[in-house]
Amino acid sequence: MTDRNHIEALIARTALGDRPAFGALYDATSAKLFGVLLRVLNNRDAAEDALQEVFEKIWRNAGRYQVNGLSPMTWLITIARNHAIDRLRRQRATDPLDAVPEPADTAPGPEAQAIARSEAGRLAACFDELEADHADAVRRAYLGGETYAELAARFAVPLNTMRTRLRRSLMKLKDCLTR
Amino acid sequence: MTDRDDIPPPDGGDDALAAEYVLGLLGADEARRFEDRLSHEPDLRAAYARWAGHFAALTDDIAPVEPPAHLRRRILGIAPRAPVWRRGWAWAAGVAAVALLVWINFGAPVMRDDGPELLAEIAAEDRALVLSAAYDADSAELVLDRQSGQAAPGRVLELWLIAGDAAPVSLGVLPDDPRAQIAVPQALRDGLAEGAILAVSDEPPGGSPTGQPTGAVLAVGAITSS
Repeated sequence: MTDRNHIEALIARTALGDRPAFGALYDATSAKLFGVLLRVLNNRDAAEDALQEVFEKIWRNAGRYQVNGLSPMTWLITIARNHAIDRLRRQRATDPLDAVPEPADTAPGPEAQAIARSEAGRLAACFDELEADHADAVRRAYLGGETYAELAARFAVPLNTMRTRLRRSLMKLKDCLTR
Repeated sequence: MTDRDDIPPPDGGDDALAAEYVLGLLGADEARRFEDRLSHEPDLRAAYARWAGHFAALTDDIAPVEPPAHLRRRILGIAPRAPVWRRGWAWAAGVAAVALLVWINFGAPVMRDDGPELLAEIAAEDRALVLSAAYDADSAELVLDRQSGQAAPGRVLELWLIAGDAAPVSLGVLPDDPRAQIAVPQALRDGLAEGAILAVSDEPPGGSPTGQPTGAVLAVGAITSS
């Protein structure tokens, strides 16, 4: 992955309307963001449209990048993920039969488990400490856009119970990640 | 999900709330309330940023996929609609009256009859940094008045001009003094016109080493004519 300062500088220049910098930002990050969009949307045409919309947002909002304290790749991935989830939910709302399709493989692949360094390695290790259902629920929320109501239905528990348990798991996750 | 908003969150407090927000699990009302709090609660913002980073790592095992080449052309084609302009215009519209008042109080550059005066308010969205700028075409000097904010310790503020679609051009590092007069080089004078953008970025001492902004863009404003 391209180095953090480089991406940060490209975002800063994009905020100033610098088109070559925007092009360089696209070249450095579009494949990753397209991969994320494909995973969440599970549809190539939708992912292509979404990629365009995501970069329109990046172009418009680059000036706000510093405000929320995210690292540059987290900021970009969050924009792409949130955009894809919004799309998914709109689609489910208009086509209820399509509701909550099985997301494409939300479980971490073997390569993810093999990553012993970095955030992802730590995260995977901490996910392993959670109840399997709850780790699955967190992945389904983040990568599948599932809501508490949908998760409660999936795991056949009342909504409040779902929320209470998931929050408890999130706190466990936090304790593990800050150890 | 808004029907769940009346249920007080169980244990986990704000930290769990921040995680739920990042996961998109809050109802619309609850999410809005969370966003309102984000703007003035640094601890909550930090919790949000931490969770956003953790969960973004869930995408680490997603392999990059090269998007088709035609998409690149289409997407980079959106850029000419310079967003900074639009942002600048929106601010400029809101602050035109203020800028004028500032102009009067500040008095320094004499109002002239010949030709329009060029003014700008260069401001951060949260107004943590605000400068007013006035261009005196006769002396080719940009007169700046910094009304709020300052450079971070060990850093400097650098002023940039963005004329049309051109890349930003440095107008120099701002002095510590809130009031400054900056001589505009001959080559840049034509670029200082209505609609051009002035911006201030955070840079290392001595200014950007690359000739392009390297730090955060702290404030932006469009030039308007009086």
